[in-house]
Parts: sequence; structure tokens; C-alpha cells
Amino acid sequence: MKKKKLLALALTAALVSGILAGCGNDNKPSNSGGQSASNVELTVVTSYGGDDGNRKNYENAVKSYEDATGNKILDASDSSNEEWKAKVLTDFQTGTEPDVLFFFTNADAEPFVQAGKVVDIATIRAAYPDYADNMRDSMLASAVDGKNYAVPSSGFWENMFVNTKVLADCGVAVPGPDYTWDQFLKDCEAIKAKGYSPIACSLFEVPHYWFEFAVMNNGTLENHLDIPASADDAAGQKWVAALNDIKDLYEKGYFPVNTLTATDAETVQLFADGEAAFLIDGSWKVNHFVDNYGDQLDNYAIAYVPAKGQRKASEAIGGISMGYFITKKAWDDPAKQAAAVEFVKHMTSDEVMSTFVTTEVTALKNGASPAGLNALQQAAADANANITGVVGAVQDTVSSECKADLFANVQNVVTGKMSAEEAVNSAIAQN
Amino acid sequence: MGPTLYRKKGPLIVFLLPAFLFLILFLYYPFLQNIWNSFSHITGLGTPAQGLNQPWYGNYVTLFTDPKLRTALGNTVLLTLCTVVFQVGIALILALLVDSIHVGAQLFRTLYFFPIVISATALGLMFNLIFLFNGGMLNQLLSNLGLISQNIDWKDTDHFLFTMFAPVMWQYVGFYFVILVTGLNNISQDLYEAAALDGCTGFSQVRYVTLPLLRNVLCTCLVLAITGALKVFDLPWVMFGAGMPQDQGWLTGTYMYDQTFNRGNVDYGSTIAILIVVLGVLFSNIANRVFKPRDYI
Repeated sequence: MKKKKLLALALTAALVSGILAGCGNDNKPSNSGGQSASNVELTVVTSYGGDDGNRKNYENAVKSYEDATGNKILDASDSSNEEWKAKVLTDFQTGTEPDVLFFFTNADAEPFVQAGKVVDIATIRAAYPDYADNMRDSMLASAVDGKNYAVPSSGFWENMFVNTKVLADCGVAVPGPDYTWDQFLKDCEAIKAKGYSPIACSLFEVPHYWFEFAVMNNGTLENHLDIPASADDAAGQKWVAALNDIKDLYEKGYFPVNTLTATDAETVQLFADGEAAFLIDGSWKVNHFVDNYGDQLDNYAIAYVPAKGQRKASEAIGGISMGYFITKKAWDDPAKQAAAVEFVKHMTSDEVMSTFVTTEVTALKNGASPAGLNALQQAAADANANITGVVGAVQDTVSSECKADLFANVQNVVTGKMSAEEAVNSAIAQN
Repeated sequence: MGPTLYRKKGPLIVFLLPAFLFLILFLYYPFLQNIWNSFSHITGLGTPAQGLNQPWYGNYVTLFTDPKLRTALGNTVLLTLCTVVFQVGIALILALLVDSIHVGAQLFRTLYFFPIVISATALGLMFNLIFLFNGGMLNQLLSNLGLISQNIDWKDTDHFLFTMFAPVMWQYVGFYFVILVTGLNNISQDLYEAAALDGCTGFSQVRYVTLPLLRNVLCTCLVLAITGALKVFDLPWVMFGAGMPQDQGWLTGTYMYDQTFNRGNVDYGSTIAILIVVLGVLFSNIANRVFKPRDYI
């Protein structure tokens, strides 16, 4: 009987300790776990996941880091969208942040910067003087506290991709830097009459590309980043007009039939397959076409988003908006600190950056040296050569909640369930 | 030895304690905290509450005025009803059919149960391909059969309920099918033979012998189906995301997730979570009363 009691107690103790062990969160260095300085596991989150055009380059860069150091990268990358951003922020809030994060350096990063969950570059340089020494300090993004936290990656641009085959079939010329809104509407009508979708865009998932340029079209480069206090002020009126422009395009039937239920991937494929003519997207999409439609690159070109009002079609959205952060969690872990620093140095080295860059700006002191450009990359370079003005995205200056609300309501605005004024006021209330 | 073990309650309590502690830690404490959160102002997961809401019951007022929540509730109730009719109904028909065959019964059991072991995410992606607008399997099939001249948007406002509910129904039919087949196997063959001698065969046998004897199993299935339907989240989320189409595709689960994780409205998400729990308790109580198992069978 005593034996049974002892057995029962032992079993119970094992069960309880098992449960409690699962609750523990030991932040002590994991050297005791058998990891040495050359056998460290780093959790890394980037936006180079899914169908990102730089996915292959990222994988190659990670592999070269692993081969050189013997460390292991646990990659939890995903495609960048509002849901991904929310998930990253949630990870910080719940204490499950990665060791290294490649993320936006704008208002999106504020929650974890203000919470002291990432380490600033000056602190890192105090221990590792050569950290990010190949970058121009003047191009490092500053947080609200004036400190630099992220080592910038390559920049981006957003502009209009066109399917030249569709345009040719419809007798429409490839838009030039003087492309007007009126001409665009005429072209859309001609394209629609031929049975194509003039615009490839999922208003359900990625209305932000069109919103950004529509705001530009109703203002100037100088006031593009003004945030409205309500739908009635000058900035608010710009946003309202922008939403109404998108609604006008929707009512005219220029978006795909299923634009309110399709994903971004579906509408991009529509464009790639030659069933839609225009697509506003970013520099990251160039490599997507290179990787997935390499034999059809001659069918695509990068042109200009139609302009109205004071804006010129040669003005675009662009800048450097993302970079590598080292989290406080990794920094405070002696086993991971050096590995995390080495990883960021590797990913932002001149050599690795040159594999990511084709036509984008960088913060590298020596500049990037991309290999020979293919047809589409050359088209992007040619279009960029004619760009007369660049401004950052206004959506990057508002809170995630504001953005999520605004873009979720685009579908309600275009279908008339909500007025543009209501949508702007609802979003601003979340900012 | 045996009886003494049960006379002494000490060891039993010791064995019950870990599970009890586990529930306290991971169910009841979070649940109570969730109630408190619903009165607080919280703008992000893991971030501390910034005091109480103004007024403190504000989220509960919003519950009654939020049109998206009304949509979510309507869809969830409809899904629950469809679950009863189609999930358990189809499972019952399949179970009766499989029970009446002798060759291949095991094969059908495996085939019908198979969807259960596939993750909802994988199923969601698969059904996304089936219902795809351009080049989707269903549109291609209908087009090749000459039944449609233009592709159907299966996720638009006219079709989304079917597109959302059909995969959910399909996924769990096998689960209830297996339970019902097991129940059918427990019915003695002697009863069927006696019924046959009395001239009761075919449909009459099902009506007067099988169904009455299967009642308790059927009741369990119905209660499980109803409470399960209230918690459906993963498959609709993978297929429809945030309220597609045009905020008409919300379920209580997907709306709670969106408010909590995507909108940072954690306190309102907590309030919706409480509503889901209240509905679950209410529905399962009603189901338990309506489909009360009988002891005399």
C-alpha cells in the first residue's frame, strides 16, 4: 500500500512539474542547452516570405550566413500585409518576439520601439563599433525618440506596371511621364470594350496602392504626408476625394469583376496572364515577375500612374521604409547577441544587399552593384530615370488600427454602403 | 485492495489536483481576466489596460449597436442550424447506408472520416482553389458542362453562404458518421431479425427500430454539432478573411479574432468572447433539454 502511495505521489509530482515547466520562461542564456557561440539558433522574422520577389535572394543570404557561422536561422518570414504587421506587433506584446526582425521603420514600429523591445544602433555600436558602418548615417530612420534602431535595407518605389500585350491588343499606347487621368479613363474604356479588366487590383486586400496615388492626385507632393484631423479639413478632403476617385473607377467597371472578393495574388495573376492591363505595385514585384513569368517579361513594362490636378505622372511613391532590428531579448542573451549582430551585418553587407537591389535606392555608402538587369528591371530603371519627385507613403505615418479601418472600408465606400467622409472619420478616430 | 483504494479519497484527490490546477490556470483564470478586460480599455495584446472604459459597460452597449456583430451572430446561428440539418443529417444517412452493406463498410468509414484528419488550413486552401473565380475547379466544371457562360464569383454576396458553409459541413460529416456507425453497431441483430419476422423491413425498420435505438447517440451528436458550430473559425478565416464579402461574411469567431488581433481592440474582442461563451452555454443547454437522452431505451 505504501508503495502505491509513493508511486501515486511520484506520478502526481511528475505531472505537476511537467505542467509548471511548461509555464516557465527562462530568459537565461541558453549555453547550458549545449549551444556554443558557433551553434546558435536565431529566430528571424522578415517580410521576405510567401511570393516575395526577393525570397530566393533572402534564402541564399541566410544560407551563406549559416555556412559561414555554423549558426542556425529559424525563419518565420511571411508576406507583408496588415495582418502580418499586426501579428508581429502581437508577438512583441506577448513576449514571443523574434531575435532579429526585418520590419517597417515608420509609425508601425512605434509600439515596440516605445516599449523598449528593440536595441538602438548607438548601443550596439558601443560594443560592436563596425555595426552598420557601411551605411550612411543620414539615411538611417529615426524613431520618435530621435534614436536610430533599424539598419536600412534597400528602398522601394511604387508605380504602375502595364501589360504591353494587352495594351497593344486594345490599341492603347504605353503611358509616358505625361499620362493624364482623362487619358487613363479613355484607355480604360477601350480596354474594357475589348473584354479585358483595365485594372488588376483586389480592393478587398490591397486597396492601399490606388489610395496612395489617388491622394497624391488630389494634393501635392509637399502636402502628401499631411494627416487629416477629420474628413472636413484640407487633408481630410484629399482623402475623401481619393476614395471617391476609386469609387468612380469601380462604378465604371474598371476593376476585375471579383475585386471585392479576390486576393492580391489572384489579381496579380490576372495581370500576369494577360487578362488585365494596369497594376499599381512596388519594386518588390519586379522579381516576382522575373521568377514566375521569366519567359514573358517582354509583355510587361513599368510606366507611370495617371495624374490629375497639380501632380505630375512622373511623381511616385518611394523611399526606404524597412530595416533590420535586433530585439532586446536577443541583445540581453549573451549566447545570441553576437550572432544577431553578425546576422544583421551579413544581411546588410554591400555584397548581400547588391543581390536584393535592382533599381531601388539604398543607404549604402558605396552603393549597390546589381548584376545585369533583365528586360523588366531595365524598364523599371528607365521609368525611374524619368521620375521627377518621390514621397513616402502617407499610410506609413498613421497607426495600424487607422490603416486597417480605412482600407477595410474601401469596399464599403465603392459599393455605396458608406460615404467616403464616414470612412475617413472612422479611420481617423482610430489614429 | 481495490475497494480500499476507493474508500480512501486522498489518492483520488491527489490525482485530480493537477488537472484541476491546469484548468484553474489556463481556463478559469483567463476567463475571469477576460471578463475584467471587457470593462477595461486595452489597445494591444499584452499591453496593460489604460483604466476602465468610459462608461465601464461601454463594450456591452456596443454589442447591441454594432451592425457587424449582428451580421456575425446571424451567420453563426444560420451555420448552427445548417450544421444540425446537413452535418448530422447527412452523417445519419451515410451511416444507415454503410451499416446496411457488408462489403466495403470499413473503406467507407475511412473515406468519410478522412477530412477530419486534414488541417482546416489545408482544407481552406483546397476549397479556395475549388471556388476560385478564374480557373477554379467548380467554374471550369460548370463551364465545360455548358451550365454557365460567365464565371461565378462564389464569394460574392449572393453565394458566400454556400461557399463558406459547404466546406464546414463536409469537414465534420465524417466525425458524426463514425459516432453514428458505432451506435448502429451496438444495436443487436436479434431486434432486426424479430422485426423482420413481424414484417417490418426496409424503411419501416429504420423508422421503428433503428432511429429509436439510436436516439441517445443522435442526441449526443446534435449537442456536439451545435456547440461545435459556435466555435467555427479556422476554415472560414482561411477562405474569407476579414468579413468578406463586404462585411457580410463575419462569424462570431472571425469577428472576435479580427477585433483582437488586427484592430487592436482587445477589450471589445474580450466582450465578444464572453458573448460567444454565453451563447455556447445557452445553446448547449437548449440542445440538452430538447435532445435529452432517455434512460429507458
